Amino acid sequence: MSRLYDTVEPSVIDEEMLQKAVEEQGPKDEAGKIAKREGINFSDVLSLRLDFKNILKIDNLWEFTALTKLQLDNNIIEKIEGLDLLVNLVWLDLSFNNIEVIEGLNNLINLKDLTLYNNRISKIENIEALKQLHVFSIGNNEIKEYKDILYLRQFPMLKTLNIANNPVSREDKDGFKQYVAAFLPNVEFLDYRLLDQQTKTAAYEKFQTQVEEQIDKDNKAKVAAEEQERKVTETQRHKEAYVEYLNTVKLFEDMYADDPEGNKLNQIPGVDEMLVVFKEKLMAVCQQLFEFGLQEYDKRKAEVDMFWECVNEAKQENKEMGMDAINEFMKDKKRIFVEMVQMTDTKMVDNKLQEYNDQVTALWDKLMGLELQLVDQLEEIIKDFERNMQDLVSVFLESVQAYLTQARDLENIHNEKMIESATSALEKAAKNELDEDVPEELKMLLVDKDTVMNAVTSSHDVHLLKIDNKEDDIVTRINNWLKNMIETIHVEQEIQRNRMRVTEITHLIDHLRDEADLLDLVQGVV
Amino acid sequence: MENEAQAEVPGEGESSKTVPDSTNADAPSSPSDGLREDTFAKDGEDDNEDKSQGEGEDFTEDAEALKQELETIVVVPPEPEVPKQPAEVFDPAEFPSSYKDNLPKELMVLQYADNFRRQYVHLYRDRKPLLLNPVNECGIEKFVCTTIRPSQLPFKELYNWEGAAEFVADYLNFETLEPAFELPTRLLSPATVLKRQKGNCFEFSTLLCSLLIGAGYDAYVVNGYATRETCLADESREICPLLKKKEEQKEEKKQKVTKKYTVKPPKDLRSKFEQKMEARRLAEQKAEEDKRRAEEEQKLAELEKPPPDPLHGLRIHAWVLVLSGKREVPESFFIEPFTGLSHSTGSESYLGIESVWNHNNYWVCMQDCSDGVAKLNYDLGDCTMWEFMFPGVDKNQLLIPEVEDDLDNLDDDEDKEEEEIHLDLPPSWVDPLKLSQKDFEMRCPQGKKTKLYKRAKLEKFAHYLLDDGLISRLSVFDDKELTDLQVVKEYYEHRSDKLNMRVHNHRTGWVTEHFHPGRSKNVKEHCYRASAPAPENDRTMHFYDEARVDGLLKRIETPLSMTEHYKNRDDFLFYKHVDFGKRTKKFGPQDEVVTSNPRPIVKMIQRFERNSKKPANCDISELIFLMNEDKIQLTYHTVDAHIASSTREFIKPQNWDEKGAMLAWSPDMHQTFQVDPNADPSKQVELYENLLQLLKMEESCREGVRESEEEVKEIINDRQKEEQASELDISVYDTERNEKAKKHRRELERQQMEEKMRKQEMEIDYLAPFLAQMEDPEKIGRSDACKLKEDCLADLKQRLIDKANLIQFRFEKETQELQKKQAWYQQNQVSMSKDDEEEYLNYCSEAMFRIHILELRLNRHKEMAPHKYMALEQRLRTDPRLAEYL
Repeated sequence: MSRLYDTVEPSVIDEEMLQKAVEEQGPKDEAGKIAKREGINFSDVLSLRLDFKNILKIDNLWEFTALTKLQLDNNIIEKIEGLDLLVNLVWLDLSFNNIEVIEGLNNLINLKDLTLYNNRISKIENIEALKQLHVFSIGNNEIKEYKDILYLRQFPMLKTLNIANNPVSREDKDGFKQYVAAFLPNVEFLDYRLLDQQTKTAAYEKFQTQVEEQIDKDNKAKVAAEEQERKVTETQRHKEAYVEYLNTVKLFEDMYADDPEGNKLNQIPGVDEMLVVFKEKLMAVCQQLFEFGLQEYDKRKAEVDMFWECVNEAKQENKEMGMDAINEFMKDKKRIFVEMVQMTDTKMVDNKLQEYNDQVTALWDKLMGLELQLVDQLEEIIKDFERNMQDLVSVFLESVQAYLTQARDLENIHNEKMIESATSALEKAAKNELDEDVPEELKMLLVDKDTVMNAVTSSHDVHLLKIDNKEDDIVTRINNWLKNMIETIHVEQEIQRNRMRVTEITHLIDHLRDEADLLDLVQGVV
Repeated sequence: MENEAQAEVPGEGESSKTVPDSTNADAPSSPSDGLREDTFAKDGEDDNEDKSQGEGEDFTEDAEALKQELETIVVVPPEPEVPKQPAEVFDPAEFPSSYKDNLPKELMVLQYADNFRRQYVHLYRDRKPLLLNPVNECGIEKFVCTTIRPSQLPFKELYNWEGAAEFVADYLNFETLEPAFELPTRLLSPATVLKRQKGNCFEFSTLLCSLLIGAGYDAYVVNGYATRETCLADESREICPLLKKKEEQKEEKKQKVTKKYTVKPPKDLRSKFEQKMEARRLAEQKAEEDKRRAEEEQKLAELEKPPPDPLHGLRIHAWVLVLSGKREVPESFFIEPFTGLSHSTGSESYLGIESVWNHNNYWVCMQDCSDGVAKLNYDLGDCTMWEFMFPGVDKNQLLIPEVEDDLDNLDDDEDKEEEEIHLDLPPSWVDPLKLSQKDFEMRCPQGKKTKLYKRAKLEKFAHYLLDDGLISRLSVFDDKELTDLQVVKEYYEHRSDKLNMRVHNHRTGWVTEHFHPGRSKNVKEHCYRASAPAPENDRTMHFYDEARVDGLLKRIETPLSMTEHYKNRDDFLFYKHVDFGKRTKKFGPQDEVVTSNPRPIVKMIQRFERNSKKPANCDISELIFLMNEDKIQLTYHTVDAHIASSTREFIKPQNWDEKGAMLAWSPDMHQTFQVDPNADPSKQVELYENLLQLLKMEESCREGVRESEEEVKEIINDRQKEEQASELDISVYDTERNEKAKKHRRELERQQMEEKMRKQEMEIDYLAPFLAQMEDPEKIGRSDACKLKEDCLADLKQRLIDKANLIQFRFEKETQELQKKQAWYQQNQVSMSKDDEEEYLNYCSEAMFRIHILELRLNRHKEMAPHKYMALEQRLRTDPRLAEYL
C-alpha cells in the first residue's frame, strides 16, 4: 500500500516541475540542443512522465493538449481530476496511488491503455466513454463484486485485463478466472497470462446458461438502443422536413392541452362521437400534410445535393487546370534556372531573368483568369439555385397553408356542431332531463346560454390559435433555413473562397519572384 | 393429269436412254417411285409448269413418230468415269460388312435417290448433276446422307464449332478435286478419312458435319461453287486470323453528363467565322488525304488481286453450313473446312449452292445463284426455295403463321396419311469414328503444319513435339514474297520456365517474352534488345504485382537510368526513378568483382500517392535526392482548397555519411515555400528530425536500387539457364508422358497380374481328375465321397511309391555304373594315361556325389511320404464337398 501522508512532503505540479520533466524527457543529442535553444511548447509535447514525485493533486496539465502518453504512477494522488482537456491521451498510467473512485475520464475517448494498479478502488465505473480501451489494469484494488466484470462487457476491443489480487478473486482464484474467461470472451490475456482456447471453452461450458442469459440481455438492450436511435434519426428527418409529429395525434392533443373549457364541454353526452369523427378527419389532413412534407423535403435535398455536386465538380475542374498551369511553369522554371546557372554573360543572364519574370506574370494572369472565370460560373449557378430553392419553398408553404386551412375548416364545422350540442344540452339541463352521471364541472357550465357559448368560443379560439401557431412555426423555420443556407453559400463560396485563392496566388507569385532574386544573388557572388 | 404425264416421263426416258445417266441406268424402278413423284411434281409445279406441259403434249400427239425418231438416235451412255489419279486402293478385308454390302433399306434409298436424280436431270437439263450416291472405299454405292455419322469424340475442344473446325482443318491434309469442275466419284467414310489424315473438300465437310451434328449443331454439308482460292485453300491473300483479332479493339468514349447546375464553360471569344473557315480548310485537306489514301489502297488491292481464273464459277467445292437455332447459334454461317474459319452467309468466296444435306435429308437449291450466295434464303422448309428429297423426315417445315391453324385442321387427315408412308433413312454405314488421345494431340499429320497468309507464315507444332515446347510460330513479313522478315511470334506451352510467348521484332531488334504467373520473381513480360541481353542495358520488365511483396509493376531500364512503378504499397510509393552516372574507373587490384563497383547514383526520385491519414501539407508527394549536390527536395501533396503545393529543400550536413557522427544543424540548411502564408513556421527540432528521417529514407532507397540491380542480374541469369535447359512440365495426370506415373502404373499392373496368377494356381482343383472319372456328378453322395477319398488316397499312395521306386531305381543304376567303372579301372589301371586317370577320378567323385544325393532324397522321401499322406487325408476331410460325409 501507499506511504502514509505524514512520512513525506506532498508536492504540487508546478511550472518548474513540468519544465524540468519536459526538458529531461525531450529530444536528445543535437536535437536536444536545438530544442533547448528554441524552447519547447507544452502543447507540442507528446509524452510526459511524472512518477515518484509525491504528487497529491493533478493540476496544471491543461496546456499539454497534444499529449498521448501520461505517466503519473507512484504518487499519492487521491482523486482523478484535471485531465479533461487531454483528449488525445492514448496511454494513462495512474498505478500506485491512493485513488478510491474512478472518475473524470469521460472526455478521454481515445484512451487505449488505462492502468489503475494498486489503488483503493472498490467499483469499476464511469469509463463507459472509453470505447477504444485495449488494456485495463485494475489489480491490487478493492473490487468486491462479480458484477463489475459484467460492466467490462461493453468494451469490444478489450484484449488485456489485469484484475488479480482483489477481494473478489481472493477466495476462489480458478473459479474467478473461469468466470472472467466466460463472460469476457474477447479478452486474450488475463493477469499477464494467455487465455488459451481450451480454457475459454471450458469456462464457457461451466457458465453456459448465465452467459447465454447475459448475451440475450445485451442483445435486447442493443436492439432497444438501435430502435431508440432509429426513432431519433427519424424524428430528426421529420423536423428537417418541418412536419414533425404530424403523423401522430399530437396536433389534436395540443389543441385540447391548453383548453380546460373544451375538455369540460367534451363531456356533454353525444359529443364524444363527434369528437372521434373530428379527430379522424383532422388526422387525415395532418397525414396528408406529413407525406407531402416528406416528399418536398426529398426534393429539396436532391436539389441541394445536386447543387453541391456541381459546385464541387466545377471547383475540381478549375483546380486541375490551375495545377496544370503551375506544373507546366515549374518545368520551365527548372530549365531556365539550370540554363542561368551555366551562363557567364551578365547580359544573357539578364535576358533570361526577364524571360522568367515574363513567364511569372503570364502564370499570374492565367491563374487569376481561371479564378475570375470560376467566380463568374459559381455566381451564376448560385443565382439559379437560389431562385429554384425559393420556388420550392414557396410551393411547399402554399401547400402547407392550404392543408392547414382545411384543418381550420374542420375546426369550424366542429365548432358549429359543438354549439348545437351545447345548446341542446343546455335545453335539457333547463328541463332537468340531464343524466345523473354528468360531472359537476359540466353542470357548472350548463347554467345559462352565455356561459356555455363563451366556453365553446374560447375552446374554438384556442384550437385555431394552435393551428395558426403550427403554421407560423413551419413558415418561420423554413424561411430561416433557406436564408441561412443561401447566406452561407454566398459567404463561403463566393467571398471566403475567392479571398483565399487570390491570397494563395499572390503568395505563390511573390515566392517565385523571390526565388529568382535569390538565384541572382548567388549568381552575383559567383 | 399433268402429274400423271410428268410421272411417266422419266420411265420413258429410261427405256430409250435419252436421259444421260452415268452410273445407275439399270436400277430397277420401285413402288416408292410413285410416292416420291407425287410429291415432287407437286412441289416443282410452279417452277416447271410450262416445261412439263409442253412435253406432255408431245408425248400424246406424235408418240409413234417421236418414238421412231428417237430410236434412230443412238445415245451412248457416258462411260463410267475413270478416276484420273490412280485412286488409292483399299483392302476390303479391312472393313466391316456394312462397307461391302447394302442393306435392303439402303438399296431402297439408293433407288429412291436414283429416281430423284432422273427426275431432276430431266427437269433441269442445264444444271449440273447432283452428288447423291458416290462409291465408298469398297466400291459400293452409298447415299451421301448415310455417310454422315453424327458422333461425339471424347475431347472437350471438339464440343464447340470453333474447336471442331480448327481440328478438322489441322488434322487432315487436303486434296483437290480432279478435275476442279467435276464432282468426285468416290466419297470415303469419315472413319477412313480420320485414319488417312487426308481427303478432298467433300470428305472434309462430311467429317466436320459428323462432328458438329454430334455436338448438337444444326449443320449441313453444302455442295456448290467457290473461288479458286477457296478450293485450293490458298490463304495467301487473307490476313492471318491471329493478326486480325488485335485490330478489333474498340474504345469507349466517356459521355459527360450535363447536370442541372453544371457550370457553363467560359465564353469563347474567338471569331466564329475564322473557326468555320479553318474547319472547312481542314475538312478539305482531310478529304483530299482520304481520297489519296483510298486511291493508294485501291492500287494496292489491284496489285494484290489474283490473276483472273478461267474456271471462275465452275470450281466445285463443299463446305459446311450451320443454321441458327441450335446450341445458341444466333445467326447462320458457313465454315470453310480447309481453314476451319467461319464465313458469313454473304461471303464472296462462295459463288453458288447446288444442294445441301445432313444425316436426315437432302435438299436441292432452287434459288438463283448468279449473284453469289449472299441473297439465299436458308429456310429449308420452304419448298419453293429448297427442293427436299424425303418429305417429312426433317422438322424443317415452312414457318406458317399461327393464324392458318384453323385451315390446317381441315385437311388434317390427309396430312396424317402422308406422314405414315414416308421413307426414313437407314442408319449410317460408317464405322464409329475413333481418335486416340495421342493422335488428337498430334493435331496435324506428323505434328507439323505450315500455312501461308498474306505477308505472314504460320507454323503449327503438336504439343510436346519439340523439345523447347514451341507450338506455333507466326512470322510476319513486310512484303508478299515473304523475304523481308518483320516480326516473329512464337507461342510455347508446357514450359517449366512458364514462357508463354516470345515476340521478336526484327525491325527494332527488341525481343518481348511473356510469361505465365508462377515464376519465382513473378516476371510477366520481359522486353530487351536482342543485341544487348546483358544487364544495365535497355530493357522493360513487367511483373505480376499482386504476387510480389513489394508490389512492383514495371521496371524500365536504360544504360543510365532505372524507373520502377509500384502498385498498392503500404508506404504509398508508386514511382521510383534513378539516374546513374558513368562508372568511375578504379585503379586498384584487378581481381575485384564488377559488382563491387556499382554505377554511381546521381539522382533518385520517389513519388507517393496521397495518404489520407496525414494532412496533405505533411504528406510527401515527390521526394528527390540530388546525390551530387547533397540536396534533398520535397514536394508535398496539394491541399484540397489550394492549387499550389508546398515545397521544402534540405542541404545535407557535411558529415552525413560518417557513421555514428553527430549531425550538426543550422537553420540555413533548410528552405521552404508554404502555400498557406498564415501557417506557423515549423520548429527547428521538427525540421532536424525530419532531416534525419530523410537521410534514413535515402539510405533505404539506395539499398532498394542496389537490390533491384541485383534482381535484374539474377533474372537474366535464370533466363539464360532456363533457355539452355528448356525443360517441359508434364502434368501428373498425363499418364502417357509422365514417366514416373507410367512406371507406377506398370508396377501396379504387374502386381495385379501376379495376384491373378496366384489366384489361378490356388484354384487348381486336386479333385478334378477323380470327379472327371465319375463323370462330374452334380452332387456328391456318401458312397461317392468315400470312393473319391479312397481313390484320391490310393492315387497319392501310388504316386509316392512310384516316386520312391524311381529314386531307388536311379540309385541302383548309379551304383551299378560306378561299380562297372571301378571294375574297368582296376583292369586297365596300368595302361592308363594320366588324363584318363584324372577323368576317372573326376567321374568317381561325381558319381559318389550323385549317389549320395539320391540316397538323401530317398531317405527324405521315405520320411515325408507318410506326412504327405496324412496331410491329404486331412485336406479331404475338410474339403467342403466331402466334409459332410467323412
